[in-house]
Amino acid sequence: MADHNKKKTESAKPVSRLVGLLAQFDDPDSLIHAGTNAREAGYKKMDAYTPFPLHGIDEAIGIRRTVLPFIVLAIGLTACAGGLLMQYYANAGDWSPIFPGYNFLIGGKPLFSLPANIPVGFEVTVLFSAFATFFGMWTLNKLPRLANPLHRISRFRRATNDRFFLLLEADDEKFDASRSRQQLEEWGATAIEECNEDLTDREFPKVLKMAGLILLFLLMIPPVIIFRASAGTSRYPRMHIIPDMDWQHKYKSQVMAPAFDDSEKHTGLFADGRSKRVPLPGTIAIGMLENDTEYHRGFLPPVAAVSKDGALPGEPMAGQFNLQDEKPEGAAAPVAPVAGQDPNAPPEPNWVTEFPESVKVSRELIERGRQRFEIYCSACHGYNGNGDGLINQHAMAMAVNGQAAWTTAKSLHDPTVTIQPVGRIFDTITNGRNTMGPYKSQIPAADRWAIVLYVKALQETGIVPPATAPVAPAEGTPAESAPAKPAE
Amino acid sequence: MSIAIDTEVDNTFEDPGRRAQLVLGGLDYGGVTENVTSLWEATRPPRAWYITLGISMLFMAILGACIIHLFMTGVGIWGNNNPVYWGFPIVNFVFWVGIGHAGTLISAILFLFRQNWRTSINRAAEAMTIFAVICAGTFPGIHIGRVWVFYWLFPVPTEHLGMWPNFRSPLLWDVFAVGTYATVSVLFWYMGMVPDIATFRDRCRTKIGRFFYGLFSLGWTGSSRSWHRYEAAYVILAALATPLVLSVHTVVSFDFAVSQVPGWHTTIFPPYFVAGAIFSGFAMVVTLLVPCRQLYGLKNLITIRHLENMNKIIMATGLMVGTAYGIEFFIAWYSGVQTETFAFYNRAFGNFWWAYWIMVSCNVFIPQVFWFKWCRTTPWFMVIICIFVNIGMWFERFVICITSLCRDYLPSSWAYFHPTEFDILMLLGSFGLFFTLFTLFCRYLPVIAMAEVKGVIPRNGGHGNDHGHDHNDTHGAPAVAGE
Repeated sequence: MADHNKKKTESAKPVSRLVGLLAQFDDPDSLIHAGTNAREAGYKKMDAYTPFPLHGIDEAIGIRRTVLPFIVLAIGLTACAGGLLMQYYANAGDWSPIFPGYNFLIGGKPLFSLPANIPVGFEVTVLFSAFATFFGMWTLNKLPRLANPLHRISRFRRATNDRFFLLLEADDEKFDASRSRQQLEEWGATAIEECNEDLTDREFPKVLKMAGLILLFLLMIPPVIIFRASAGTSRYPRMHIIPDMDWQHKYKSQVMAPAFDDSEKHTGLFADGRSKRVPLPGTIAIGMLENDTEYHRGFLPPVAAVSKDGALPGEPMAGQFNLQDEKPEGAAAPVAPVAGQDPNAPPEPNWVTEFPESVKVSRELIERGRQRFEIYCSACHGYNGNGDGLINQHAMAMAVNGQAAWTTAKSLHDPTVTIQPVGRIFDTITNGRNTMGPYKSQIPAADRWAIVLYVKALQETGIVPPATAPVAPAEGTPAESAPAKPAE
Repeated sequence: MSIAIDTEVDNTFEDPGRRAQLVLGGLDYGGVTENVTSLWEATRPPRAWYITLGISMLFMAILGACIIHLFMTGVGIWGNNNPVYWGFPIVNFVFWVGIGHAGTLISAILFLFRQNWRTSINRAAEAMTIFAVICAGTFPGIHIGRVWVFYWLFPVPTEHLGMWPNFRSPLLWDVFAVGTYATVSVLFWYMGMVPDIATFRDRCRTKIGRFFYGLFSLGWTGSSRSWHRYEAAYVILAALATPLVLSVHTVVSFDFAVSQVPGWHTTIFPPYFVAGAIFSGFAMVVTLLVPCRQLYGLKNLITIRHLENMNKIIMATGLMVGTAYGIEFFIAWYSGVQTETFAFYNRAFGNFWWAYWIMVSCNVFIPQVFWFKWCRTTPWFMVIICIFVNIGMWFERFVICITSLCRDYLPSSWAYFHPTEFDILMLLGSFGLFFTLFTLFCRYLPVIAMAEVKGVIPRNGGHGNDHGHDHNDTHGAPAVAGE
């Protein structure tokens, strides 16, 4: 407060300012009467204060019609258009690169049809019109205004109860403290008081200021914690506040069934602990009878050989469904090893050298093969089969710095590859080779043959751009250069 | 119930030549303020208030516990099954939304029709609307299963989901309708309350009370310029709320009517639901206001005439609902569709016949007592009738929801519906939530719109805007109004 006093004496500011004269009336009619008189006397800046909306006061003291309805109309129309546009955007427009709309195709109905979009459009219109009304009204009334000199007058408290007040403002041209007081008395005021605005105490209360600062500080804490957590590193996995059905008590096929409570053992539905039956020996699921070895494996069936299971020739799949053996196919019929191979490797099967009968070689098939090749193979082997795919290039760059262990993907134009029979290439795609993974489950057999055809086409055209030089040095010694990731 | 007081004036007459008084006991402006604030200013509320609050909070706590259990366990704790996917939660939702409609009807529609008797009851009715909508919103909110992604209900762009809501779905319309309704109701209620909160601010004796009432009264002074814009805003909000309230239960009825389930797929649903909503809502208003006026000594403000008017509306809307029941049966027969005919036959005589007949008895037969003047002017009696009406309206939603689902097109999936203990507890708990909020409202906020009531008190002196009547007379026969 000392601070205030000093300021006051220095600048000699007035302690208070006269806002106006507040006259009390005991009933609404005398207020309207006084208001009419004041207006006739030429007063313009005045206001009446009543406990309820008093009809007739608007004309008496000259209150103009509010513009609020037009504001609401404008905002309501905008909201209506906005609501319809929002629905159009969300359900019929998927052009946006960020947060595109989502087109629900339901029963062939149009994506945007006005009748179905009327309810939401209507509700949005009403909602925003109501906001416009509510907030527009308070804004036009210049409320909230929590400090008002009128509230300092104890008599004025009855303005919200049962008394009626008229305030002649000091800013008015006609205002003159003594004359106005006299006039008000004439017009029937039961009490007249000066309304003064205290200019010394205009500061925001310190308590509230402190409370606000403390609140602001406390509000900063959560974002800071979140920012720290997201910016820093931690040894622990991320917090998982809501599991969101990530861990469910359910049986998955061919997996040990979960325990439904701690007392239970991990017992499955069946005695062997499984939650699903295994197929009976000798049964084959529909569509899984891959009895054409040429087509499905790429080699010719061994002649008159009897397999371990005792299956007869021509029944190559018998006994295949053995759960312990994930890869039932493989080296069935030993044939002479291909030149250039590791002598310790198991003998090669009798690869088919011609495309099987069911694969119709055509331009369309090459095209199909090219498309599949570019999807599945080009990432490592490159679009031309040079072994310069993007992954390969990147991994090689990292391998130079010692950041990764990598062997180049094999160029398909390599002589060791070009001499391979089609069956061998098919087998490589099907089961993988070295660290190249198997693609059997991803690419259907027909497409694998298409890829083989395309690879052969690539080899025939012999496109070996000279730009493949950086890849070249690693060729020929794929097995030694790195412990992991050699690729065919 | 001995609520007859000797000063009670019969203001229930129907005489076009005489204007019935809406404020009795010779209350003037100050008298109205005193009457409304007396209980708020009392240092201790009556014991009945504590008892009501205690019981209500107990049930609210039960609701909270059930909701926590639901979140931890899943929606399997309810009796919902296949094919009755919509069990108690949706029944309760429709029931509570309907309850809310009376408040908006009183505050908006009756305002537009210049029904001045609404002024004494509109505040409490609007509060009831908001609390009912809170109860209503709870049920679909917890019914969605994965409540932590509730924001998928709204058109919020999400990286995670990568989808937008389907704006052609009535369930989404429901989100918008109920959301808008709740928001607009709160705005309307609060705006109407600001002048009365200012009255509280000016009469409050405690510092903390002055702070909070001061804050929420926004510095209201009762300036005529403010009143002018305030009244304009009030009319606009009423004009907005009127189609809104009709749209809300229409959209709720679309949840059913837009589907193809026999018994749901009918065009009568929107008007039938709206009439039912007003019916149940007015019954709830009467149920709340009769004890409230008794406890608070508000008999001069909420007079027998007010209650009688509400009972007339209850009877009118009850007849509309009864007509709708009849029309449904007629259309089922007239359509000649076998499943439709069966659906309605099954309602009345099938496995849930008892629910159907509770509904018809409570909604159609019992309110007919209001044809008798004694029945509609006797407070304790009308509360009993209104409780029956609310039971009946809850069963109406039960019948629509459950009987149609458990006997739909595919007989192989027919099933019965058994509510679990959580269904029952959550229904009771929602009443706890509702009554807790209402009890607190009665204690801390202006129960009656004082400013509006003062506006309908005839002005003294006779040269005001009073339609040339002499209003200080008490020439209505001072008969005791049958209490």
